[in-house]
Amino acid sequence: MLYTTMKKVLFLLYSVLFTAMAMGLVSCVDDDTDMDDIIAQYQIEPASIELDYSDLAEAPDVPVTDENDEAYNDYVENSSWNEVIELKYAGDDVEVTGAVPGVIVQTSGAHATVLNMSGPIKIVVSGSTANGSLKLYGDKRVQLMLNNVDMTNPTGAAINNQGGKTMYVVLAQGTTNHLQDGTDYTLVDDEDQKAALFSEGQIVFSGHGRLDVNAVGRGGIRSDDYIRIRPGVKINVSSSALDGLRANDGIIVDGGAINIMTTGAGAKGMRSGGLMEVNGGRLVAIASGDTRIETVDGVADTAACAALYCDSLLVVNSGTLKLKATGDGGKGLNAKQDVAFDGGSLQAVAAGTREVKKPKGVKVDGSMSIGGGYFYSYSRRSDPLDVSGTLTVAPGYTTYDSGAKALTIAY
Amino acid sequence: MARSKMNQLAALLLLISAALIPTSLHADDAGLVVSAEASHKFTKALSAGFEVEFRSRNNFRTADRVSFGPSVSYKVLPWLKASAGYNLLIDNNREEITYQDDGVSYNNWRPSYWGVRHRFNVSLTASRKIQRVEVSLRERWQYTYRRSRVIDNFDFDNAEWEDHEVRGKGKNVLRSRLQVAWDIPKCKFDPYASVEFHSTRELEKTRFIVGVDHSIKKKHEFTLYYRYQLSGSSSDEPNIHMLGMGYTYKF
Repeated sequence: MLYTTMKKVLFLLYSVLFTAMAMGLVSCVDDDTDMDDIIAQYQIEPASIELDYSDLAEAPDVPVTDENDEAYNDYVENSSWNEVIELKYAGDDVEVTGAVPGVIVQTSGAHATVLNMSGPIKIVVSGSTANGSLKLYGDKRVQLMLNNVDMTNPTGAAINNQGGKTMYVVLAQGTTNHLQDGTDYTLVDDEDQKAALFSEGQIVFSGHGRLDVNAVGRGGIRSDDYIRIRPGVKINVSSSALDGLRANDGIIVDGGAINIMTTGAGAKGMRSGGLMEVNGGRLVAIASGDTRIETVDGVADTAACAALYCDSLLVVNSGTLKLKATGDGGKGLNAKQDVAFDGGSLQAVAAGTREVKKPKGVKVDGSMSIGGGYFYSYSRRSDPLDVSGTLTVAPGYTTYDSGAKALTIAY
Repeated sequence: MARSKMNQLAALLLLISAALIPTSLHADDAGLVVSAEASHKFTKALSAGFEVEFRSRNNFRTADRVSFGPSVSYKVLPWLKASAGYNLLIDNNREEITYQDDGVSYNNWRPSYWGVRHRFNVSLTASRKIQRVEVSLRERWQYTYRRSRVIDNFDFDNAEWEDHEVRGKGKNVLRSRLQVAWDIPKCKFDPYASVEFHSTRELEKTRFIVGVDHSIKKKHEFTLYYRYQLSGSSSDEPNIHMLGMGYTYKF
């Protein structure tokens, strides 16, 4: 009796199992939304942006000859440089050649101070020192020709121009120059020194040489006025502390091959406090620092890194901008006012995390117009393009590819 | 008189079902419930059983749940039965999609996944037979527990798959079922209708059932029913039409 009952129970269980399996086979369709294509859109890989040390073919750099042109004085060729002083660094010493009336050169080891109470002077700098510097005083224009100089100042800026007039930094043909600051700056009352290469006045880079700046204490290159970069130069800035290249009153890039790499929290690759104009050249800027968080009086202030940061109007007429931010909340381009992109090529990639801030390829607080050239923006963890004002895209484009993570517009 | 009241009650149940069902037909799902049970009566009052159940959804195309477990019941009084049971539930949890503030852009997607839950229940069923109609009221408390586990979740903001923790939790539900069954003379088919409310702090779902039982030699019992499940306003689950088939072997 028990055996018969057990057999029936087993038969029942097998029947149920069979039925369940049969139902399972019938009901084997997934009812999920088909997300494969959508996710693929979100997981596209960004354009590759890496520092580029290759030569850049550029049109000849023709100086402005019209004295009424506001850029006239930015051309070193438009001034006479009859008064020349040479500084040749060698270890803990610096050799001074040339005497100019009204110009006093003081040295202490390999630290040189030039006080110019005369007219425009040209200073040719060469040699190597691991503990040296050059400081300039005087309200006259100065041409600083870097002629294979390798200078490190462990206690501050390598070159510090306290004069408010233009400092023409001319990179001698075929030379490689290296400047580095120290981790701890020895401060002087009432004097700024904000970078390895610092100037109170404007800086105009020209020539056909190379300048490598390595900043470990503060910024790489900084002017409290504006900076102009002319075709032919090669500038490579690496900063583990503050901004790579920064100017308070504006930046004009007419040409040159520029590489900037910053790793500091909240640091910007290139930062312009005034109008920024790009007319040529090639800028590759990579900012990898995370968001900087500072608490003042109990209030937390955050600043994300950016490959290019502009406080004012940004105008791109030509040239190549390759901008990448890999730190948390980092922006490829962060423009606080309007942006007019009329030509050239702009590629911006934000590949950082979004723990504190949102990483964005291009973020514009004002309005933006795109009227030519090639524009590409990618954000892995946010919208590729964030324009607070009006975005105007001129007709005539050949490509307009707007995806979840990338936007491409080409003319 | 009593017969008339019973008929009125049955009619009321059907009317409630008929009134509620068509309201959301357009968005409703459909599925199947198949169950089988082996049951043994130890004494006149005490019996125990073991049930296996399979459910589908998505218009019968997707497996929804497999469950099985034992139960025991005891007739405390001729009109009152107490029962208790345990079920191991293996659920195919539905996908979950959340959107950004604009209501259009995706925020997160958690694909469907299989998970295990444990369910315990105790019930009291009061019944009264009036002529050929039996009215019963069952109050069931059930506690369902799921363990914490980590599953995949696609975060559209970060454009990457992330680990998402489904937290372990326990849930208490009170189920109240009112049923009316007819014992038709010289007929082996016994129709029934019921309405059941699942309540937590709010009404989570309501089930309307109409079905028929069929017995063969008191050992084999089959049931075939239609069930409409109306989800509560805070539930993400769609309303669902279910076709149910059950078999019980009594030994």
